[in-house]
Amino acid sequence: MEYPDSEAQLPLPTLESKPEAQITKLPTRPRTVFKNQLVDSTKSSGSAGLANKKCRARSLWYALYLPQLSNLDPSQQEKYLNQLAGLMQSVSSTVSFHPQALICEIRSSLKYFAGIDVIHQKLQLLLEEQLQQWGLLDGFLYAASPTVTGSLLLAKSGHNTLVYQKDNLRSALGGLCTDVLDLDKEQRRRLHNMGVRYLRDIWRLPSNGLCKRFGSNFVNQLNKALGKAPEPTCNYIAPPIFITSYELPYELENLDRLLPIADEILAQLCDFLRRRDLSTSHLHFSLLHEKRDHTEIHIGLRQASRSQQHLMLLLETHFNRLTIPAPVIAVRVEVKNFDAFFGHSNSLLETNSLDATHYKDSKLIQFIEELQARLGEDHVKYVSCAAQHCPEHANMQLDYRGSSKPRLKKSSAGSISRNPRPLWLLQDPVRLNINKGRLFHRRVISIISGPERIETHWWSGADVRRDYYVAKELKGSRLWIYREKGGERGWYLHGIFA
Amino acid sequence: MTIIRNHSKQQLQCQGQYQPSQVKALDGEGSRDIDELVHSNPGLWRGCDMAAQGLHEHSTGFAQLDAILPGRGWPNKGLVEVITPYWGMGELQLLIPLMRSIVEQGKWILWISPPYLLYAPALVQAGINTEQLLVVKLDTSCKDALWSMEKALQTENCGLVLAWQNWLPRKVLRRLQLAADTGDTLGVLFKNNDSEHSPSSTRLKIEDSWSENAGFNESEVTLIKARGNFRPLSANINLYQQA
Repeated sequence: MEYPDSEAQLPLPTLESKPEAQITKLPTRPRTVFKNQLVDSTKSSGSAGLANKKCRARSLWYALYLPQLSNLDPSQQEKYLNQLAGLMQSVSSTVSFHPQALICEIRSSLKYFAGIDVIHQKLQLLLEEQLQQWGLLDGFLYAASPTVTGSLLLAKSGHNTLVYQKDNLRSALGGLCTDVLDLDKEQRRRLHNMGVRYLRDIWRLPSNGLCKRFGSNFVNQLNKALGKAPEPTCNYIAPPIFITSYELPYELENLDRLLPIADEILAQLCDFLRRRDLSTSHLHFSLLHEKRDHTEIHIGLRQASRSQQHLMLLLETHFNRLTIPAPVIAVRVEVKNFDAFFGHSNSLLETNSLDATHYKDSKLIQFIEELQARLGEDHVKYVSCAAQHCPEHANMQLDYRGSSKPRLKKSSAGSISRNPRPLWLLQDPVRLNINKGRLFHRRVISIISGPERIETHWWSGADVRRDYYVAKELKGSRLWIYREKGGERGWYLHGIFA
Repeated sequence: MTIIRNHSKQQLQCQGQYQPSQVKALDGEGSRDIDELVHSNPGLWRGCDMAAQGLHEHSTGFAQLDAILPGRGWPNKGLVEVITPYWGMGELQLLIPLMRSIVEQGKWILWISPPYLLYAPALVQAGINTEQLLVVKLDTSCKDALWSMEKALQTENCGLVLAWQNWLPRKVLRRLQLAADTGDTLGVLFKNNDSEHSPSSTRLKIEDSWSENAGFNESEVTLIKARGNFRPLSANINLYQQA
C-alpha cells in the first residue's frame, strides 16, 4: 500500500507489470509520537531555539479561527470544517476540531517547509480559495503557541501572535481581554464586577478561590492554555478514497481489450474494500484520450457491493453501450463513497427463510441494476396506484431508484374503484369518429355497459367531467371509452381491456 | 421412448422403476392413482394421451383451457406465444391467474415494452401486488428489449417475463427458448401474427367468436402448438370472468 506523501511520478508500467495503485489514506500515527521526538531548533525559531534544545519535544499548535462560520447552522459548520481540515492535512498530520476553529500541529513540519511563514502562506492560499468558493469572507484569524487552548485564545483575540516557548505563554496570554474566554453570562458579569478585565488580572488571583467561584472548568481552561493540564483533542481522520490510474502502453480503440485491465483494477479495488471491510455503491471510471475530453463512466449501484464479478459485469454492459471519440490512452478509477459491508451468512443448521429471501432479493437487485446499466435508468419503471379519482392520475410510473420504495398502503388499495378498469391505459386519449350514427375506431364499436361518471379536478382548471363506458369492437378489442360531458361532447378511447 | 397404451400392471413393471409392492398397493386404490403415478414421470410419453408430460404446477385458472393443455396447466418453463390480431383481446386476462400465483410465490414479473401504459388500479383489482412488477418502457430499442428478455429469462428470480415483439426471427426465438429453459422461467411473447415453424414450446391464438351477437366475454382460444399435443385444439372461454 502506498502512502499519499510520495507524489513522485509513477514509472510507466510495462506490459507485465500490474497497474500501480495510488491510494490516498490517512497514515495512522500514534499521537504520542511528539513526546519522544527531540525538537529540532530551526533558524526561524531564533533565540527560542536555544531554550528548546534542553527540554523534551513540545508541539507547536497553529490555530485558525473563522468567525464568519458563526452564522451558519451546526451541520453546515461541521461540513465546512471537515473540508478545511482535509486541506490542512497538507501541512500537518494532526488536525483537530474546535468550535469555528481548526488547530493543527506544525512543529513536526517546520523543517520540511522551512519555517512557519511558508506554512502560513501555503495555508492562507488554500483556505482563502476554498472560502471564496463557498462565498464566505476569505479572511481568518490565526495564532501559534505550544498549547491548543492557548493558540485558540490568541487566535480569537485577533492578535495573530506566534509564541514558541511555553514560558512566554503566560505573558503573551496576559494581554488578552477576558472576552475571549469561553464563559457564560453570569461568570462574565462576576469577572467584570471583580474588576478583572484582562487575563493577567486572573493570573494574580489564587487558583483555589477561582475554583470555588467559577468552577473547575474555568480553572482547567486556564491551566490548559498555560500547558499545565493535558489537552485531549479530537483529531480529523480523512475518509478513505481509492484512486488508481493505468497508462496503457499503446492506444486502444477496442474497448473489449480494455476489459482485462479493468478487471485487474477492479481486483485491486475489491482488495482495498475487503481490507477495510467496506463496500461501494458508486464508481467513477474515466477513459483518457489524447487531445480530447475524458470519457466518463459513472456506475451507480442500488445495493453496495464489493463483488468483483458483479462490478465487472456492470462495467462490461457500460462498455457495450459506449462509443469512444478517440483511442484510449489511460484509464482512471475513482471511488469516494463507501458503505459498510453487509455479508450474507449461511446458517449451519437450519435455513433461515428471512436470510434466504434477503439473499434472493440481492440477486434480483443485481439483475435490476444490470438492466438499468444497459437500458438507462429512466427506462426501467415500476407502477403503483395513487388514491386519485381521475383515471390518468390513479396510476404512477415510478423510477426504480433508492431503497425506499413507496409501499402500497392498505388504505389506497381500498380506495380503488370497484368499477371495471382496463389493464392498458392510453397516454393520450384517442378521438373516436361517429360514422352513420355508430361509434367507429378501427371497426364499429358497441357499448356493453356504463356509464360511470367521473367528475374531478374542477379545482385545478383542467376540469374532468366524463362518462365512461365499457365497449367492444366488432371482432376486436374490448375498449374503455368516454364521452365528455361539457364542451364538444366528443367520444374518446382511453383504455383497452387486454 | 416407451409407449404405454393402457394402464396395465405388466407394463408398469417393465419400467423397472416401480416396486412390485407399489403396484400391489395400487390395485386397491383404483386407476386414478396409476394415472397420477404415470403423470408424475415427465420422461414417460404416452402416445394416445396428450397430457403426457407430467402435471404442471400452474393451472391456467380456466378449466376449458386446462383441459386442452398438455400437463393440465401452463408449462413450468419455456416460451409461450400468444397471438391476437389486435392488442386487447383478453390476452392478459388469460394470464392473470398465473400472474397472481407467481406474485404470491414472491417472484417478480417483468413487462418488456408493453404497447400501452400498464394501469396499476386494474392490476390491484385483479389481486396482483404491483410491488413485484417491473416495466421496461416501450421506447427501448428492440435489441435492448431482447437483451433484457434473455437476461430476465436466465434469472431465477423472475417468475414470468412478458414481452411484446412482433417480428422475431427463428434464431432469436430459439435463443429465448433456450434461455427460458436454463433459467427455469416461463416467458410469454405477445404477437399479432402467427409464424409457423416457430420453435416456441406453446403457441396460442385468441380470436373473437365470429357471430356479431357474441357477448363481451366469449373468446375462442386455439392451441396451435403445444409440446405433447398432436393437433390444434380450441376451446371457448369466458376470459373476462373477473370483470
